[in-house]
Amino acid sequence: MNTSGLRIGAAALLVVVGIWAGARIHFHRVSTQNPPGVVSVPAGVASAPNPSDLALPAPKIPDRLPQFSLEDRTGKATSIASFEGKSLIINFWATWCAPCRSEIPLLERLHAEWVGRGVSVVGIAVDYRDKVLEFADRFKIGYPLLIGEQDALDAAAAFGVETPVFPFTVFTDRRGEVVALFIGELHKPQADLILSEVENLNSGRVQLPAARRAIEEGLWALKSPGTG
Amino acid sequence: MKMSVLALLLLGLVGAASAKPWWMHGVESNQNDFLDPDVAFRVGAAVDGNVVRVRWVIADGYYLYRHKIEIKAESPDLVVSTPLLPAGALKTDPYLGTQEIFRQQVEATATFTRVDAGAHPMEIKVTYQGCADAGLCYPPITKVLMPEHAAAAAAPAPHPWEGVAILGGGFAFLCAGLLLRKGRKLDLPAA
Repeated sequence: MNTSGLRIGAAALLVVVGIWAGARIHFHRVSTQNPPGVVSVPAGVASAPNPSDLALPAPKIPDRLPQFSLEDRTGKATSIASFEGKSLIINFWATWCAPCRSEIPLLERLHAEWVGRGVSVVGIAVDYRDKVLEFADRFKIGYPLLIGEQDALDAAAAFGVETPVFPFTVFTDRRGEVVALFIGELHKPQADLILSEVENLNSGRVQLPAARRAIEEGLWALKSPGTG
Repeated sequence: MKMSVLALLLLGLVGAASAKPWWMHGVESNQNDFLDPDVAFRVGAAVDGNVVRVRWVIADGYYLYRHKIEIKAESPDLVVSTPLLPAGALKTDPYLGTQEIFRQQVEATATFTRVDAGAHPMEIKVTYQGCADAGLCYPPITKVLMPEHAAAAAAPAPHPWEGVAILGGGFAFLCAGLLLRKGRKLDLPAA
């Protein structure tokens, strides 16, 4: 092939490469934009590098049961300290929340089963008082209930749950140490696991760090589809 | 072989780190089991003529209740109609009965009028409420949005390499011309 042929070939190649590169970038741009008419939704924090950045904010859980007072079913201001000496299952809930409603039968069973061993369920309804009373009557809730709106939200915040989500359940031992805070609907295997460690703490068989470790390992082992 | 064993070990370590249970994160709760509400339910709005459209993108395993979605005027000069929503999927709950819910994504549309021809920036207030299948509900979320203008939203931002491609294309064309031109004499018409 002569020099002129080579030159024409090289020039043609350059032009083809230029067109290809431009077209590639153009079509990439077209394919990555929303189709016309689609409302763009901000990515939010979805681009966070660490998956835990996408999760609920970590609650700053107190070591000990915080002090707060809320009205009971009769309207009497009741301090959480009035349950002193008991291990508590403090369940934050609302009447509009389906998973909160579905765990109530479990809470009833736990209360009946453990009340003889110095454990009490305390429901904290973050909701309108009349709705809670109507609901509690209808579903015959037998364990103690405290009711509030902003004051109940403040109680949730005292447990470190600043972004309120429902349900969540705090477990304390009889000395008032916060053993675990479980977010989401509680199931029997998780409740039994945490309560057996509360019992171990109460009887002095384990110390808090060991109990917490056992709860962590046990909850991890229970984590499989269907158990939440 | 040694390298592949090492790589497997490293992979195992990385896997173990990301699969760390909540206690080992130094966090005394299982909050990592659930998404932040702004990640679970992302929302954006756009204006198209006299219609405002609000779109939610919903994470897998999460849903929004249809009857809890509201769009209201926030700017004082704005009047927004009741939003139109598609039919939702039916979810039967033993306590709440049958409810319509949305998964993945949903778009609501509402017509609007402005009484003082846009003297104020347009702001709408959207309210929505949803839950996670794994057993958690978020309280109603209210956000004030400034809808993008649909035309502005549709105009894509230039790709950062587009300028390079244009310059590169021009340069390639110049080189091609020079290659073809080289060795040829000017063939000017005689004066």
